[in-house]
Amino acid sequence: MLLRFDSVVAGYGRGDILRGLDLDVPEQAVTCLVGPNGAGKSTALKTLSGLLKPRAGRILFEGDDIAGLSPARVLARGIVHVPQERSLFPLMTVWDNVLMGGHSMRDRGAVRRRAEALAERFPIVRERRNDRAGELSGGQQKVVEIARALMLRPKLILFDEPTMGLEPKTRHLIFETVARLHADGHTVLLVEQNARAGLAAADHGAVLDGGRVAIAGRGADLLADPRLGELYLGGSGPTANGSGGMNSPA
Amino acid sequence: MHLVVQACILGVLTGGVYALMASGLTLVFGVMRVINVAQGALVILSAYLSWALFTHFQVDPFLSVLIVAPLIFALGVGVQLVFIRSLRSEQAEELSLLITWALALGIEGVLGAVYETTYRATNTSYANSAWTIFGYQVSVVRAYAFGLCVAVLVLLYLLLARTRFGRSVRATVQNPSSALLLGVNADRVRALAFGIGVSTAAAAGAVYGVLYPFNPGSHYDLISRLLSIVVLGGLGSVAGAVAAALMMGVVEAVVAVEISPVWSSFSYFVVLVAILLLRPQGFFGARERTL
Repeated sequence: MLLRFDSVVAGYGRGDILRGLDLDVPEQAVTCLVGPNGAGKSTALKTLSGLLKPRAGRILFEGDDIAGLSPARVLARGIVHVPQERSLFPLMTVWDNVLMGGHSMRDRGAVRRRAEALAERFPIVRERRNDRAGELSGGQQKVVEIARALMLRPKLILFDEPTMGLEPKTRHLIFETVARLHADGHTVLLVEQNARAGLAAADHGAVLDGGRVAIAGRGADLLADPRLGELYLGGSGPTANGSGGMNSPA
Repeated sequence: MHLVVQACILGVLTGGVYALMASGLTLVFGVMRVINVAQGALVILSAYLSWALFTHFQVDPFLSVLIVAPLIFALGVGVQLVFIRSLRSEQAEELSLLITWALALGIEGVLGAVYETTYRATNTSYANSAWTIFGYQVSVVRAYAFGLCVAVLVLLYLLLARTRFGRSVRATVQNPSSALLLGVNADRVRALAFGIGVSTAAAAGAVYGVLYPFNPGSHYDLISRLLSIVVLGGLGSVAGAVAAALMMGVVEAVVAVEISPVWSSFSYFVVLVAILLLRPQGFFGARERTL
Protein backbone atom coordinates (compact mmCIF):
# COMPACT_ATOMS: atom_id res chain seq x y z
CA MET A 1 0.00 0.00 0.00
CA LEU A 2 1.51 3.31 -1.04
CA LEU A 3 -0.57 5.54 1.22
CA ARG A 4 -2.69 4.97 4.30
CA PHE A 5 -4.84 7.42 6.26
CA ASP A 6 -5.06 6.05 9.79
CA SER A 7 -7.80 7.61 11.97
CA VAL A 8 -7.04 11.10 10.68
CA VAL A 9 -8.88 14.01 12.27
CA ALA A 10 -8.61 17.45 10.66
CA GLY A 11 -10.66 20.56 10.14
CA TYR A 12 -10.89 24.32 10.21
CA GLY A 13 -11.43 26.54 13.21
CA ARG A 14 -13.13 24.59 15.96
CA GLY A 15 -14.92 22.14 13.68
CA ASP A 16 -13.64 18.78 12.47
CA ILE A 17 -14.22 17.86 8.85
CA LEU A 18 -12.32 14.58 8.86
CA ARG A 19 -13.51 12.54 11.84
CA GLY A 20 -11.23 9.54 11.94
CA LEU A 21 -10.59 8.93 8.25
CA ASP A 22 -9.21 5.48 7.38
CA LEU A 23 -8.30 5.04 3.74
CA ASP A 24 -5.85 2.94 1.73
CA VAL A 25 -4.43 4.05 -1.60
CA PRO A 26 -2.73 1.26 -3.58
CA GLU A 27 0.27 1.87 -5.80
CA GLN A 28 0.00 2.36 -9.58
CA ALA A 29 -3.76 2.69 -9.44
CA VAL A 30 -6.35 5.43 -9.64
CA THR A 31 -8.32 5.84 -6.43
CA CYS A 32 -11.33 8.11 -6.50
CA LEU A 33 -12.91 9.82 -3.51
CA VAL A 34 -16.53 10.79 -3.94
CA GLY A 35 -19.15 12.02 -1.55
CA PRO A 36 -21.57 14.82 -0.88
CA ASN A 37 -20.45 18.38 -0.28
CA GLY A 38 -18.73 18.75 3.10
CA ALA A 39 -17.87 15.05 3.31
CA GLY A 40 -14.17 15.88 3.61
CA LYS A 41 -12.83 14.96 0.17
CA SER A 42 -10.82 18.13 -0.44
CA THR A 43 -9.89 18.34 3.24
CA ALA A 44 -8.33 14.88 2.96
CA LEU A 45 -6.10 16.05 0.10
CA LYS A 46 -5.16 19.28 1.88
CA THR A 47 -4.26 17.36 5.01
CA LEU A 48 -2.15 14.97 2.98
CA SER A 49 -0.28 17.69 1.07
CA GLY A 50 0.51 19.69 4.20
CA LEU A 51 -1.81 22.65 3.61
CA LEU A 52 -3.76 21.61 6.70
CA LYS A 53 -2.29 20.11 9.86
CA PRO A 54 -4.10 17.02 11.11
CA ARG A 55 -5.32 17.10 14.71
CA ALA A 56 -4.93 13.41 15.23
CA GLY A 57 -4.07 10.24 13.37
CA ARG A 58 -1.30 9.16 11.05
CA ILE A 59 -0.73 9.47 7.32
CA LEU A 60 1.60 6.69 6.23
CA PHE A 61 3.35 7.13 2.89
CA GLU A 62 5.68 4.32 1.90
CA GLY A 63 5.50 3.29 5.53
CA ASP A 64 6.60 6.63 7.00
CA ASP A 65 4.30 8.93 8.95
CA ILE A 66 4.15 12.20 7.00
CA ALA A 67 1.25 13.77 8.92
CA GLY A 68 1.93 17.44 9.65
CA LEU A 69 4.89 17.84 7.30
CA SER A 70 5.13 21.14 5.41
CA PRO A 71 3.98 21.20 1.77
CA ALA A 72 7.61 21.46 0.64
CA ARG A 73 8.58 18.33 2.57
CA VAL A 74 5.52 16.44 1.36
CA LEU A 75 6.46 17.43 -2.20
CA ALA A 76 10.00 16.22 -1.57
CA ARG A 77 8.54 12.82 -0.64
CA GLY A 78 7.03 12.61 -4.13
CA ILE A 79 3.45 13.78 -3.58
CA VAL A 80 2.13 16.55 -5.79
CA HIS A 81 -1.22 18.26 -5.32
CA VAL A 82 -3.23 19.82 -8.16
CA PRO A 83 -5.79 21.88 -6.25
CA GLN A 84 -9.44 22.45 -7.05
CA GLU A 85 -9.19 26.13 -7.92
CA ARG A 86 -7.11 27.39 -10.82
CA SER A 87 -3.55 27.18 -9.63
CA LEU A 88 -1.45 28.58 -12.46
CA PHE A 89 0.32 31.89 -12.02
CA PRO A 90 -1.78 33.97 -14.41
CA LEU A 91 0.76 36.66 -15.27
CA MET A 92 3.62 34.24 -15.88
CA THR A 93 4.09 32.53 -19.21
CA VAL A 94 2.98 28.94 -19.68
CA TRP A 95 6.64 27.98 -19.86
CA ASP A 96 7.53 29.71 -16.59
CA ASN A 97 4.57 28.00 -14.96
CA VAL A 98 5.86 24.61 -16.03
CA LEU A 99 9.37 25.50 -14.84
CA MET A 100 7.88 26.40 -11.46
CA GLY A 101 6.89 22.74 -11.18
CA GLY A 102 10.61 22.00 -10.88
CA HIS A 103 11.23 24.77 -8.37
CA SER A 104 12.67 22.40 -5.78
CA MET A 105 15.17 20.89 -8.28
CA ARG A 106 18.67 22.37 -8.05
CA ASP A 107 19.88 21.31 -11.50
CA ARG A 108 18.50 24.01 -13.80
CA GLY A 109 19.50 22.07 -16.90
CA ALA A 110 17.55 19.06 -15.70
CA VAL A 111 14.53 21.30 -15.05
CA ARG A 112 14.60 22.57 -18.64
CA ARG A 113 15.09 19.11 -20.11
CA ARG A 114 12.17 17.80 -18.11
CA ALA A 115 10.00 20.73 -19.17
CA GLU A 116 10.91 20.15 -22.83
CA ALA A 117 9.93 16.48 -22.49
CA LEU A 118 6.59 17.47 -20.98
CA ALA A 119 6.05 20.01 -23.76
CA GLU A 120 6.29 17.13 -26.21
CA ARG A 121 3.79 15.12 -24.20
CA PHE A 122 1.36 18.01 -23.68
CA PRO A 123 1.27 19.99 -26.96
CA ILE A 124 -0.55 22.94 -25.39
CA VAL A 125 2.62 23.70 -23.42
CA ARG A 126 4.63 23.88 -26.64
CA GLU A 127 2.00 25.77 -28.62
CA ARG A 128 1.25 28.42 -25.97
CA ARG A 129 4.70 28.45 -24.41
CA ASN A 130 5.17 32.23 -24.42
CA ASP A 131 1.56 33.19 -23.68
CA ARG A 132 0.48 34.29 -20.26
CA ALA A 133 -1.17 31.40 -18.44
CA GLY A 134 -4.14 33.58 -17.55
CA GLU A 135 -4.99 33.87 -21.26
CA LEU A 136 -5.63 30.12 -21.61
CA SER A 137 -9.09 28.57 -21.38
CA GLY A 138 -10.04 26.72 -18.21
CA GLY A 139 -9.40 23.32 -19.78
CA GLN A 140 -6.05 24.38 -21.24
CA GLN A 141 -5.02 25.72 -17.84
CA LYS A 142 -5.90 22.42 -16.24
CA VAL A 143 -3.75 20.52 -18.75
CA VAL A 144 -0.82 22.86 -18.05
CA GLU A 145 -1.36 22.29 -14.32
CA ILE A 146 -1.11 18.56 -14.92
CA ALA A 147 2.07 19.00 -16.99
CA ARG A 148 3.53 21.14 -14.22
CA ALA A 149 2.60 18.52 -11.64
CA LEU A 150 4.63 15.91 -13.51
CA MET A 151 7.86 17.95 -13.44
CA LEU A 152 9.15 16.15 -10.37
CA ARG A 153 8.12 12.67 -11.55
CA PRO A 154 5.84 12.29 -8.54
CA LYS A 155 5.04 8.98 -6.90
CA LEU A 156 1.52 10.12 -6.08
CA ILE A 157 -0.60 12.75 -7.83
CA LEU A 158 -3.54 14.33 -6.02
CA PHE A 159 -6.27 15.78 -8.22
CA ASP A 160 -8.96 17.81 -6.51
CA GLU A 161 -12.01 18.02 -8.75
CA PRO A 162 -10.03 18.55 -11.96
CA THR A 163 -13.13 18.76 -14.13
CA MET A 164 -15.01 21.31 -12.05
CA GLY A 165 -16.38 24.13 -14.18
CA LEU A 166 -15.21 22.61 -17.47
CA GLU A 167 -17.35 21.91 -20.51
CA PRO A 168 -18.10 18.24 -21.38
CA LYS A 169 -15.50 17.96 -24.14
CA THR A 170 -12.78 19.30 -21.86
CA ARG A 171 -13.90 17.08 -18.98
CA HIS A 172 -13.45 14.14 -21.32
CA LEU A 173 -9.93 15.34 -22.15
CA ILE A 174 -9.05 15.55 -18.46
CA PHE A 175 -10.29 12.03 -17.76
CA GLU A 176 -8.32 10.82 -20.79
CA THR A 177 -5.23 12.45 -19.32
CA VAL A 178 -5.83 10.73 -15.98
CA ALA A 179 -6.19 7.42 -17.85
CA ARG A 180 -2.87 8.06 -19.62
CA LEU A 181 -1.19 8.77 -16.29
CA HIS A 182 -2.60 5.50 -14.99
CA ALA A 183 -1.36 3.65 -18.06
CA ASP A 184 2.10 5.14 -17.49
CA GLY A 185 2.14 3.63 -14.01
CA HIS A 186 1.39 6.72 -11.93
CA THR A 187 -0.56 6.50 -8.71
CA VAL A 188 -3.47 8.92 -8.65
CA LEU A 189 -5.77 9.97 -5.83
CA LEU A 190 -8.69 11.73 -7.45
CA VAL A 191 -11.42 13.73 -5.77
CA GLU A 192 -14.41 14.06 -8.03
CA GLN A 193 -17.82 15.61 -7.54
CA ASN A 194 -18.98 13.85 -10.67
CA ALA A 195 -19.15 10.46 -8.96
CA ARG A 196 -20.12 8.39 -11.96
CA ALA A 197 -17.32 9.70 -14.17
CA GLY A 198 -14.78 9.57 -11.35
CA LEU A 199 -15.53 6.01 -10.30
CA ALA A 200 -15.67 4.87 -13.90
CA ALA A 201 -12.13 6.19 -14.38
CA ALA A 202 -10.84 4.65 -11.15
CA ASP A 203 -9.61 1.22 -10.11
CA HIS A 204 -10.67 1.86 -6.54
CA GLY A 205 -13.09 4.19 -4.91
CA ALA A 206 -14.25 5.38 -1.54
CA VAL A 207 -17.41 7.23 -0.65
CA LEU A 208 -16.88 9.73 2.13
CA ASP A 209 -19.65 10.84 4.40
CA GLY A 210 -19.27 12.93 7.52
CA GLY A 211 -15.47 12.81 7.39
CA ARG A 212 -15.23 9.02 7.28
CA VAL A 213 -15.25 6.36 4.59
CA ALA A 214 -18.81 5.08 4.28
CA ILE A 215 -18.17 2.58 1.49
CA ALA A 216 -15.00 1.48 -0.27
CA GLY A 217 -14.20 -0.98 -2.99
CA ARG A 218 -13.49 -1.33 -6.69
CA GLY A 219 -14.74 1.59 -8.73
CA ALA A 220 -17.00 -0.54 -10.89
CA ASP A 221 -18.48 -2.27 -7.83
CA LEU A 222 -19.24 1.05 -6.14
CA LEU A 223 -21.07 2.28 -9.22
CA ALA A 224 -23.43 -0.68 -8.86
CA ASP A 225 -23.82 -0.33 -5.11
CA PRO A 226 -27.27 1.03 -4.16
CA ARG A 227 -25.83 2.63 -1.03
CA LEU A 228 -23.96 5.12 -3.25
CA GLY A 229 -27.20 6.67 -4.41
CA GLU A 230 -28.57 6.67 -0.88
CA LEU A 231 -25.58 8.62 0.38
CA TYR A 232 -25.92 11.16 -2.38
CA LEU A 233 -29.64 11.51 -2.81
CA GLY A 234 -31.20 9.89 0.19
CA GLY A 235 -32.15 6.67 -1.57
CA SER A 236 -32.60 7.59 -5.21
CA GLY A 237 -30.50 4.67 -6.37
CA PRO A 238 -27.05 4.34 -7.86
CA THR A 239 -27.98 5.38 -11.40
CA ALA A 240 -29.57 8.64 -10.41
CA ASN A 241 -28.50 11.74 -12.23
CA GLY A 242 -28.80 15.26 -10.99
CA SER A 243 -27.68 17.82 -8.52
CA GLY A 244 -26.40 15.42 -5.92
CA GLY A 245 -23.26 14.78 -7.89
CA MET A 246 -24.16 11.55 -9.70
CA ASN A 247 -23.84 13.26 -13.04
CA SER A 248 -23.23 11.39 -16.24
CA PRO A 249 -19.68 11.29 -17.44
CA ALA A 250 -18.66 13.60 -20.17
CA MET B 1 8.73 76.28 -23.49
CA HIS B 2 12.35 76.18 -22.40
CA LEU B 3 11.21 76.48 -18.79
CA VAL B 4 8.71 73.65 -19.17
CA VAL B 5 11.34 71.32 -20.66
CA GLN B 6 13.71 72.30 -17.87
CA ALA B 7 10.96 71.50 -15.35
CA CYS B 8 10.32 68.15 -17.01
CA ILE B 9 14.00 67.24 -16.72
CA LEU B 10 13.96 68.16 -13.05
CA GLY B 11 10.69 66.28 -12.56
CA VAL B 12 11.98 63.08 -14.16
CA LEU B 13 15.18 63.20 -12.08
CA THR B 14 13.20 63.77 -8.87
CA GLY B 15 10.59 61.18 -9.82
CA GLY B 16 13.30 58.57 -10.26
CA VAL B 17 14.26 58.91 -6.59
CA TYR B 18 10.66 58.54 -5.47
CA ALA B 19 10.28 55.60 -7.85
CA LEU B 20 13.00 53.76 -6.00
CA MET B 21 11.43 54.38 -2.59
CA ALA B 22 7.97 53.43 -3.81
CA SER B 23 9.09 50.30 -5.68
CA GLY B 24 10.20 48.75 -2.39
CA LEU B 25 6.94 49.68 -0.75
CA THR B 26 4.83 48.17 -3.51
CA LEU B 27 7.02 45.06 -3.70
CA VAL B 28 6.42 44.39 -0.01
CA PHE B 29 2.70 44.97 -0.42
CA GLY B 30 2.54 42.68 -3.44
CA VAL B 31 4.34 39.80 -1.77
CA MET B 32 2.81 39.86 1.68
CA ARG B 33 -0.05 42.38 1.71
CA VAL B 34 1.90 44.45 4.22
CA ILE B 35 1.57 48.22 3.98
CA ASN B 36 4.96 49.22 5.27
CA VAL B 37 4.32 52.75 6.55
CA ALA B 38 7.84 52.69 8.01
CA GLN B 39 9.29 52.97 4.49
CA GLY B 40 9.58 56.77 4.85
CA ALA B 41 11.24 56.46 8.25
CA LEU B 42 13.68 53.90 6.85
CA VAL B 43 14.56 56.36 4.08
CA ILE B 44 15.30 58.99 6.72
CA LEU B 45 17.25 56.50 8.87
CA SER B 46 19.33 55.65 5.81
CA ALA B 47 19.83 59.33 5.07
CA TYR B 48 21.21 59.77 8.62
CA LEU B 49 23.50 56.74 8.30
CA SER B 50 24.79 57.99 4.97
CA TRP B 51 25.21 61.50 6.40
CA ALA B 52 27.13 60.09 9.38
CA LEU B 53 29.44 58.05 7.13
CA PHE B 54 30.08 61.14 5.01
CA THR B 55 30.60 63.50 7.96
CA HIS B 56 32.76 61.24 10.13
CA PHE B 57 34.52 58.99 7.58
CA GLN B 58 34.27 61.01 4.35
CA VAL B 59 32.48 58.18 2.58
CA ASP B 60 30.77 59.49 -0.54
CA PRO B 61 26.98 59.22 -0.07
CA PHE B 62 26.57 57.28 -3.31
CA LEU B 63 29.18 54.75 -2.19
CA SER B 64 27.68 54.62 1.30
CA VAL B 65 24.76 52.70 -0.23
CA LEU B 66 27.05 49.67 -0.27
CA ILE B 67 27.26 49.85 3.53
CA VAL B 68 23.80 51.18 4.43
CA ALA B 69 21.75 48.89 2.18
CA PRO B 70 22.96 45.62 3.78
CA LEU B 71 22.32 47.07 7.26
CA ILE B 72 18.76 48.08 6.37
CA PHE B 73 18.25 44.74 4.61
CA ALA B 74 19.22 42.92 7.81
CA LEU B 75 16.94 45.20 9.85
CA GLY B 76 14.07 44.50 7.46
CA VAL B 77 14.54 40.73 7.55
CA GLY B 78 14.69 40.90 11.36
CA VAL B 79 11.51 42.95 11.61
CA GLN B 80 9.71 40.61 9.23
CA LEU B 81 10.79 37.48 11.10
CA VAL B 82 10.10 38.84 14.58
CA PHE B 83 6.97 40.95 14.13
CA ILE B 84 5.26 40.33 10.80
CA ARG B 85 5.69 36.63 10.06
CA SER B 86 3.48 35.56 12.91
CA LEU B 87 0.50 37.66 11.77
CA ARG B 88 -2.45 35.61 10.63
CA SER B 89 -3.02 36.19 6.94
CA GLU B 90 -6.55 37.54 7.35
CA GLN B 91 -5.29 40.20 9.78
CA ALA B 92 -1.96 40.89 8.14
CA GLU B 93 -2.94 44.08 6.33
CA GLU B 94 -4.46 45.79 9.36
CA LEU B 95 -1.98 44.65 12.00
CA SER B 96 1.05 45.22 9.80
CA LEU B 97 -0.02 48.85 9.53
CA LEU B 98 0.19 49.16 13.30
CA ILE B 99 3.48 47.29 13.51
CA THR B 100 5.20 49.28 10.79
CA TRP B 101 3.78 52.53 12.15
CA ALA B 102 5.25 51.64 15.53
CA LEU B 103 8.55 50.93 13.78
CA ALA B 104 8.39 54.35 12.10
CA LEU B 105 7.75 56.10 15.40
CA GLY B 106 10.52 54.08 17.04
CA ILE B 107 13.01 55.09 14.36
CA GLU B 108 11.90 58.72 14.66
CA GLY B 109 12.30 58.55 18.43
CA VAL B 110 15.80 57.08 18.30
CA LEU B 111 16.92 59.56 15.64
CA GLY B 112 15.41 62.41 17.66
CA ALA B 113 17.28 61.29 20.77
CA VAL B 114 20.60 61.00 18.94
CA TYR B 115 20.44 63.91 16.48
CA GLU B 116 17.64 66.07 17.93
CA THR B 117 15.39 67.87 15.47
CA THR B 118 18.09 69.88 13.72
CA TYR B 119 17.91 69.66 9.94
CA ARG B 120 20.89 67.94 8.33
CA ALA B 121 22.04 67.68 4.73
CA THR B 122 24.84 65.72 3.08
CA ASN B 123 26.78 68.49 1.39
CA THR B 124 29.20 66.98 -1.11
CA SER B 125 31.77 68.96 -3.08
CA TYR B 126 29.66 68.52 -6.21
CA ALA B 127 26.39 69.47 -4.53
CA ASN B 128 26.00 72.68 -6.51
CA SER B 129 27.55 71.56 -9.79
CA ALA B 130 25.52 71.35 -12.96
CA TRP B 131 25.99 70.26 -16.56
CA THR B 132 24.61 72.23 -19.45
CA ILE B 133 23.16 69.90 -22.07
CA PHE B 134 21.55 71.42 -25.18
CA GLY B 135 21.04 74.59 -23.19
CA TYR B 136 19.37 72.88 -20.26
CA GLN B 137 20.81 72.76 -16.77
CA VAL B 138 21.14 69.30 -15.26
CA SER B 139 22.17 69.13 -11.62
CA VAL B 140 25.09 66.71 -11.18
CA VAL B 141 23.77 65.45 -7.86
CA ARG B 142 20.30 64.84 -9.26
CA ALA B 143 21.75 63.13 -12.31
CA TYR B 144 23.87 60.84 -10.10
CA ALA B 145 20.86 60.21 -7.90
CA PHE B 146 18.73 59.35 -10.90
CA GLY B 147 21.45 57.08 -12.26
CA LEU B 148 21.73 55.24 -8.96
CA CYS B 149 17.97 54.81 -8.77
CA VAL B 150 17.80 53.49 -12.33
CA ALA B 151 20.65 51.08 -11.61
CA VAL B 152 18.93 49.76 -8.47
CA LEU B 153 15.59 49.46 -10.26
CA VAL B 154 17.24 47.55 -13.13
CA LEU B 155 18.84 45.21 -10.60
CA LEU B 156 15.48 44.77 -8.90
CA TYR B 157 13.88 44.01 -12.27
CA LEU B 158 16.56 41.46 -13.18
CA LEU B 159 16.22 39.86 -9.76
CA LEU B 160 12.47 39.50 -10.13
CA ALA B 161 12.34 38.58 -13.81
CA ARG B 162 15.42 36.46 -14.41
CA THR B 163 16.22 34.54 -11.25
CA ARG B 164 14.78 31.50 -9.53
CA PHE B 165 14.21 33.61 -6.43
CA GLY B 166 12.42 36.24 -8.50
CA ARG B 167 10.17 33.61 -10.03
CA SER B 168 9.30 32.35 -6.56
CA VAL B 169 8.50 35.93 -5.48
CA ARG B 170 6.20 36.44 -8.48
CA ALA B 171 4.60 33.07 -7.86
CA THR B 172 3.94 33.96 -4.23
CA VAL B 173 2.37 37.26 -5.30
CA GLN B 174 0.13 35.72 -7.94
CA ASN B 175 -0.99 32.55 -6.18
CA PRO B 176 0.42 32.01 -2.66
CA SER B 177 -1.14 28.62 -1.95
CA SER B 178 -0.11 27.25 -5.33
CA ALA B 179 3.46 28.47 -4.77
CA LEU B 180 3.44 26.69 -1.42
CA LEU B 181 2.33 23.45 -3.05
CA LEU B 182 5.21 23.68 -5.53
CA GLY B 183 7.74 23.80 -2.73
CA VAL B 184 8.29 27.55 -2.50
CA ASN B 185 9.42 28.42 1.01
CA ALA B 186 6.93 31.23 1.52
CA ASP B 187 8.43 32.33 4.85
CA ARG B 188 11.86 32.70 3.29
CA VAL B 189 10.50 34.49 0.23
CA ARG B 190 8.54 36.93 2.38
CA ALA B 191 11.45 37.68 4.70
CA LEU B 192 13.86 38.26 1.81
CA ALA B 193 11.33 40.29 -0.16
CA PHE B 194 10.71 42.50 2.88
CA GLY B 195 14.47 42.94 3.27
CA ILE B 196 14.87 43.81 -0.41
CA GLY B 197 11.89 46.17 -0.27
CA VAL B 198 13.32 48.16 2.61
CA SER B 199 16.81 48.07 1.06
CA THR B 200 15.47 50.26 -1.72
CA ALA B 201 14.74 52.74 1.06
CA ALA B 202 18.41 52.56 2.00
CA ALA B 203 19.57 53.41 -1.51
CA ALA B 204 16.98 56.14 -1.80
CA GLY B 205 17.86 57.48 1.66
CA ALA B 206 21.48 58.10 0.74
CA VAL B 207 20.23 60.04 -2.29
CA TYR B 208 17.55 61.86 -0.32
CA GLY B 209 20.12 63.22 2.12
CA VAL B 210 22.06 64.74 -0.75
CA LEU B 211 19.01 66.32 -2.38
CA TYR B 212 17.01 67.58 0.59
CA PRO B 213 17.59 68.68 4.18
CA PHE B 214 16.03 66.25 6.61
CA ASN B 215 15.27 65.74 10.27
CA PRO B 216 13.70 62.80 12.17
CA GLY B 217 10.18 63.99 11.38
CA SER B 218 10.73 64.18 7.61
CA HIS B 219 9.21 60.76 7.10
CA TYR B 220 5.62 62.00 7.52
CA ASP B 221 5.67 63.92 4.27
CA LEU B 222 7.57 61.13 2.55
CA ILE B 223 5.21 58.30 3.42
CA SER B 224 2.13 60.21 2.32
CA ARG B 225 3.74 60.76 -1.08
CA LEU B 226 4.95 57.18 -1.32
CA LEU B 227 1.54 55.74 -0.50
CA SER B 228 -0.12 57.95 -3.10
CA ILE B 229 2.45 56.84 -5.69
CA VAL B 230 1.86 53.18 -4.89
CA VAL B 231 -1.92 53.62 -5.11
CA LEU B 232 -1.69 55.50 -8.41
CA GLY B 233 0.68 52.93 -9.88
CA GLY B 234 -1.54 50.07 -8.82
CA LEU B 235 -1.03 48.24 -5.55
CA GLY B 236 1.69 45.63 -5.90
CA SER B 237 2.96 46.80 -9.30
CA VAL B 238 6.61 47.88 -9.39
CA ALA B 239 6.27 49.17 -12.96
CA GLY B 240 3.21 51.15 -11.89
CA ALA B 241 5.09 52.71 -8.98
CA VAL B 242 7.87 53.85 -11.32
CA ALA B 243 5.40 55.37 -13.78
CA ALA B 244 3.43 57.11 -11.02
CA ALA B 245 6.57 58.50 -9.39
CA LEU B 246 7.82 59.93 -12.68
CA MET B 247 4.43 61.45 -13.32
CA MET B 248 4.40 63.00 -9.86
CA GLY B 249 7.83 64.51 -10.37
CA VAL B 250 6.94 66.01 -13.73
CA VAL B 251 3.50 67.34 -12.69
CA GLU B 252 4.89 69.01 -9.59
CA ALA B 253 7.85 70.55 -11.39
CA VAL B 254 5.78 71.86 -14.31
CA VAL B 255 3.10 73.34 -12.04
CA ALA B 256 5.83 74.93 -9.91
CA VAL B 257 7.28 76.85 -12.88
CA GLU B 258 4.06 77.48 -14.81
CA ILE B 259 1.68 78.35 -11.97
CA SER B 260 3.27 78.54 -8.55
CA PRO B 261 5.41 76.32 -6.28
CA VAL B 262 2.64 76.74 -3.70
CA TRP B 263 0.36 74.55 -5.82
CA SER B 264 2.90 71.97 -6.97
CA SER B 265 2.25 69.29 -4.31
CA PHE B 266 -1.49 69.89 -4.40
CA SER B 267 -1.55 69.57 -8.18
CA TYR B 268 -0.21 66.03 -8.01
CA PHE B 269 -2.98 64.99 -5.66
CA VAL B 270 -5.57 66.55 -8.00
CA VAL B 271 -4.17 64.44 -10.85
CA LEU B 272 -4.10 61.41 -8.53
CA VAL B 273 -7.77 61.74 -7.63
CA ALA B 274 -8.78 62.39 -11.24
CA ILE B 275 -6.97 59.27 -12.50
CA LEU B 276 -8.32 57.10 -9.70
CA LEU B 277 -11.86 58.22 -10.52
CA LEU B 278 -11.34 56.92 -14.06
CA ARG B 279 -9.20 53.93 -13.16
CA PRO B 280 -9.64 52.92 -9.50
CA GLN B 281 -7.04 50.17 -9.72
CA GLY B 282 -4.31 52.64 -10.75
CA PHE B 283 -2.04 52.54 -13.81
CA PHE B 284 -0.92 48.93 -13.82
CA GLY B 285 -3.01 47.61 -11.01
CA ALA B 286 -5.37 44.80 -11.70
CA ARG B 287 -8.18 43.74 -9.45
CA GLU B 288 -5.76 41.01 -8.51
CA ARG B 289 -2.14 41.10 -7.43
CA THR B 290 0.43 41.99 -10.02
CA LEU B 291 4.15 42.29 -10.18
